Amino acid sequence: MLTIGLITGWIALAAALALWLGPKAASTAPQAAPFLGGGTPETHAWQRYHFRPYTMALLFIAFEMEMMFMYPWAVVFVSEGIKALAEMGMFLAILSVGILYGWREGVFRWQ
Amino acid sequence: MTRLARIAASAPVPVFAAIGPGRQAETERLLARPGLRRADTARDAAILLVAGDLPEAAAPALARLHDQLPRPRVTLRWQGEGADETETALTGAWRELCAGGPDEEDRLPDAPTNAWRGVGPHGQGGEGMMGGTPYGRPMAMTGADIRDGLQLDRYSATLGPFAPMLPPGMVLDLTLQGDVICEAAVAEPPFAQPAEADAPALCAARLLRLLGLEKAARRVIGGRRPGALWITGAVPPGLGRIGGADLRARLAAWLADRPVTVPAFDLPALLAGAEWCEAMLILASLPPSELIRAARRDAAA
Repeated sequence: MLTIGLITGWIALAAALALWLGPKAASTAPQAAPFLGGGTPETHAWQRYHFRPYTMALLFIAFEMEMMFMYPWAVVFVSEGIKALAEMGMFLAILSVGILYGWREGVFRWQ
Repeated sequence: MTRLARIAASAPVPVFAAIGPGRQAETERLLARPGLRRADTARDAAILLVAGDLPEAAAPALARLHDQLPRPRVTLRWQGEGADETETALTGAWRELCAGGPDEEDRLPDAPTNAWRGVGPHGQGGEGMMGGTPYGRPMAMTGADIRDGLQLDRYSATLGPFAPMLPPGMVLDLTLQGDVICEAAVAEPPFAQPAEADAPALCAARLLRLLGLEKAARRVIGGRRPGALWITGAVPPGLGRIGGADLRARLAAWLADRPVTVPAFDLPALLAGAEWCEAMLILASLPPSELIRAARRDAAA
């Protein structure tokens, strides 16, 4: 009971502080518009753009995952034999799908 | 006047300048004085300085700009007075503002330019993240990216006539994908300026300001050396090449106090494909007289 009271009280306190201390959006409609030196936007500001490091990150993770599991795999490969080889083959096949996808997205075209 | 207000009043005066025809050089020299600070945006300023007579067509833009200054704010008109007189007026107005002096009301109504009409034909509508017109303004639609052909959203806006990175009076219709300019068209050419606006020191100072070297820009306007090392290295080589000379070469010429002339160029073609920062640097690297000529040619076409 005491715990529940403490948790509720703490949440109430945090919410009250956030409401009290939070910055107020006191700007008027002209101030809320983007600053374009007197110009006006013609389209809504919500737009999608290409986050170009994304494909790079995809490629990095694909290769990093390979290396991460290849080290312990290399330790047990001799004792496990062909079974370990097949498992690693499947793992690499799955990861290479990601690399192929990155290829299609143009990650290997350096600018 | 409280102690805090006194400290605030001793800071450089934050001024946003709306520069009219023929007043660019004077205004730039005035705002390079040590007691004044040229604000980069309206939000950063307390005083709106209207230099010269603005044409009637620029009045709505001036009203939008005025309302974007945070309150308290004040507008000063600079007609034929001397620079010293205007500096005194600016400093006086700033002191008065800090002491709680008179404030200015909004010129435009405090309502969205395009009203929200709920979900429906004029509300958000559309399908998913596409289409619809929230607040009466259409959503950005996709178009082929000009660099690698990916389908990306195109944002279009009108920039100017008082955008600090453009020559005064210039209005550009821009279409952007992220920060890449896909299309640029001159809606209004810059205001006419006397030959003094082409002075090497002023031209160099404009570029230095864009590069963030505010102090160096002030020193150059004051006729001193910029006091920064390898300034031309701050701009990429080969940018804005016209007639064999690139941006670096023009900046170097201006820093050496030599005037720059460029052959006739196609302004929209120069800006298309450039990233935002590159495009603004290219515009600032052209002498105002040549830029006005090119923009007029383009606006007439």
